[in-house]
Amino acid sequence: MLRHLAGASALALVLAGAAFAQDHDHDHEDVTLYRVFVGDHEKAQVTAFDLSEPDHRWTFPTTGQVKLFPVAGGAVVAAVQSDADTVQFIRSGISFHDHGDHRDIEVGDPAAIDASLTGPRPFHLVDHDGKVVLNYDQGGYAEILDGHALAEGKVEPVRFPQARAHHGFVAPLGDSWLSTIASDEKVEGDASVPRLGLQAFDAEGKPAGDLASCTAIHGEAFSGAYLAAGCKEGVLTVKAGANGPEYRLLPYPADLPQGVTTGTLLGSTGIQVFLGNYGPDGLVVIDPVDEPHYRYIKLPFRRVDFALDPAKPSTGYVLTEDGSLHRIDLLKAEIAASAKVTEPYSMDGHWNDPRPRLALAGDEIVITDPNAGLVRRIATEDLSERGTVPVEGKPYNIAVTGGSGVTH
Amino acid sequence: MRDWLRRIAACAAIAFSSLAAAQAEPLDVVATFSIIGDFAAEVGGDRIRLKVLVGPDSDTHVHEPRPADAIALAGADVVLTNGLEFEGFLTRLIAANGTDAAVATLTDGVETMEEPGGGHYHYIDGKAVFHAGAHDPHAWQSVPNAKVYVQNIAAAFCAADAEGCAAYQANAARYAGELDALDTEIRSAVAALPTDRRTVVVAHNAFRYFEAAYGVHFLSPQGVSTESEATAADVAGLIREIRDRKAAAIFAENISDTRLLEQIAREAGLPLAGTLYSDALSSPDGPAPDYIAMMRHNASAIAAALAAR
Repeated sequence: MLRHLAGASALALVLAGAAFAQDHDHDHEDVTLYRVFVGDHEKAQVTAFDLSEPDHRWTFPTTGQVKLFPVAGGAVVAAVQSDADTVQFIRSGISFHDHGDHRDIEVGDPAAIDASLTGPRPFHLVDHDGKVVLNYDQGGYAEILDGHALAEGKVEPVRFPQARAHHGFVAPLGDSWLSTIASDEKVEGDASVPRLGLQAFDAEGKPAGDLASCTAIHGEAFSGAYLAAGCKEGVLTVKAGANGPEYRLLPYPADLPQGVTTGTLLGSTGIQVFLGNYGPDGLVVIDPVDEPHYRYIKLPFRRVDFALDPAKPSTGYVLTEDGSLHRIDLLKAEIAASAKVTEPYSMDGHWNDPRPRLALAGDEIVITDPNAGLVRRIATEDLSERGTVPVEGKPYNIAVTGGSGVTH
Repeated sequence: MRDWLRRIAACAAIAFSSLAAAQAEPLDVVATFSIIGDFAAEVGGDRIRLKVLVGPDSDTHVHEPRPADAIALAGADVVLTNGLEFEGFLTRLIAANGTDAAVATLTDGVETMEEPGGGHYHYIDGKAVFHAGAHDPHAWQSVPNAKVYVQNIAAAFCAADAEGCAAYQANAARYAGELDALDTEIRSAVAALPTDRRTVVVAHNAFRYFEAAYGVHFLSPQGVSTESEATAADVAGLIREIRDRKAAAIFAENISDTRLLEQIAREAGLPLAGTLYSDALSSPDGPAPDYIAMMRHNASAIAAALAAR
């Protein structure tokens, strides 16, 4: 149950200064609170704790191993359980209300939402333009949730049909819905269905445009006006136009390492730019408008996980298998700083072996360290360790909600 | 003794050439959009290296900052902004990479107008997009306000480059004279219009400073979207107002979607009378490549449409 902060004296809060600002009433307070959600690698559960006071913690049982996504402006954390055919939702307990020159923060305990989604292998989740969309890789459909309703605890999915089940995604863009398109060629056994590209549909799933070719399309992200997705031949960019989606394929240039592609993209929230993987030991900065569209960053070791900093939109972080965390300058496309933060985690072995995952929490990077049973708190400023938070089991996937706001 | 003199001469030569090099290095100026970019070029002349973030015929309100913008901002000596919440992207851009530049708000000193309803609408791809703000940001649509912008630019350049201050002030004074002449020209054009033909329709409410300065009344749809359920009722309300106020012309805008205006023109039985330039200049080969040409074009188009029949 949400409650106003004034009545939540036991909550872990950082009260930064007694007065918010001179031009505000003196009983306003500036509050910063980050809440960390951690999925265990082996046990079906999510642990949540407040970063500033980790003893304030909660545990939520799940059906299977989770991948966690903050959605609906951070009001909810989606726990996607692909192997368990389930998606559960946890209200983060933190919500914001925008007032133009400031935003109010409202804080309560996190709580599981009773209703969940079930379907054959939910995988990619897209949270954009007020919609939360789950693609069911073995179902041949996606389900669309309204973000505002979800923030109020309502799980009321609308089904978006696809011609053939495949490992893809569905995303809103302007007045259109974009869906990945699978080939109709026959595949043997568990082989994945080839993916051909992206196509626009109306809300009922009726085609509203031609296929935009993007072989083996995978990984989608939004930044600015653009959605971008990785393909075998380049990156497909899409923006809403007056007459429907406008596609542009940016082919990989000859000066990039050959034989590899990007398939995981992150979109900056502040400037129109993407950061993608590129081969096991590389990253690529993608500018959808200006040339050069691609700038490659060679990493010293294979990449374990990477994330963008929403507070410093030209900054990213990548952890490599030697246990080093690197700060990435997206504007210069280079490693700006590095520091050792965990023991080595080899990228040999199964893709889903327990390895660290990163998320940003204000001026800290929080990193799961499964073998140590810890979440490590690393300062963005100098990559030094500010502290550790013990988490039972093997802490694995991680998501952060929260931020700064004003209480009245 | 001669060695000593030679050393002094050499040092003086080095110092002089360093000074000359310092003088030769232009001030790096970032202007957020094309209109204030033109002001900056007039005041700065060849002493500045200008980067305009939002170019001709582009809507600053929906600009998505690019990496090149962040790089320019980080390297700038002076950043010129309109202020009044016009450049919503600027805070994000500064957060992206920071800037050590002096950020000048050019509407400082302008007598601003409050924004009725806390904002106004832009029409993009057939949709109404609300631009929130307590004050109307389109202050440049009055030429006397433009002179305040120019004074503020000269002050910002002088603060960053004291050596060039005299040149900046001279440029600003020259340009202010041209603006005075423009102001007189617009007033004369409007004064020649019949008093009962002083109302036109535009897509977005960007001409309230023009209205206050020159006495032409502008009607604009507020939040009407060609895609929304409210279209019929809202457009009907505007049509009634068009008839009540005897609006004589409907204008498209260079930064706005024309579909809504075409619909209103059809229903009001008025032709589209041309294109006005509100928040951006035209391309160099268009009718409004600089501020003076823009204001002259707008005034001429309005005067032609409202002239006695």
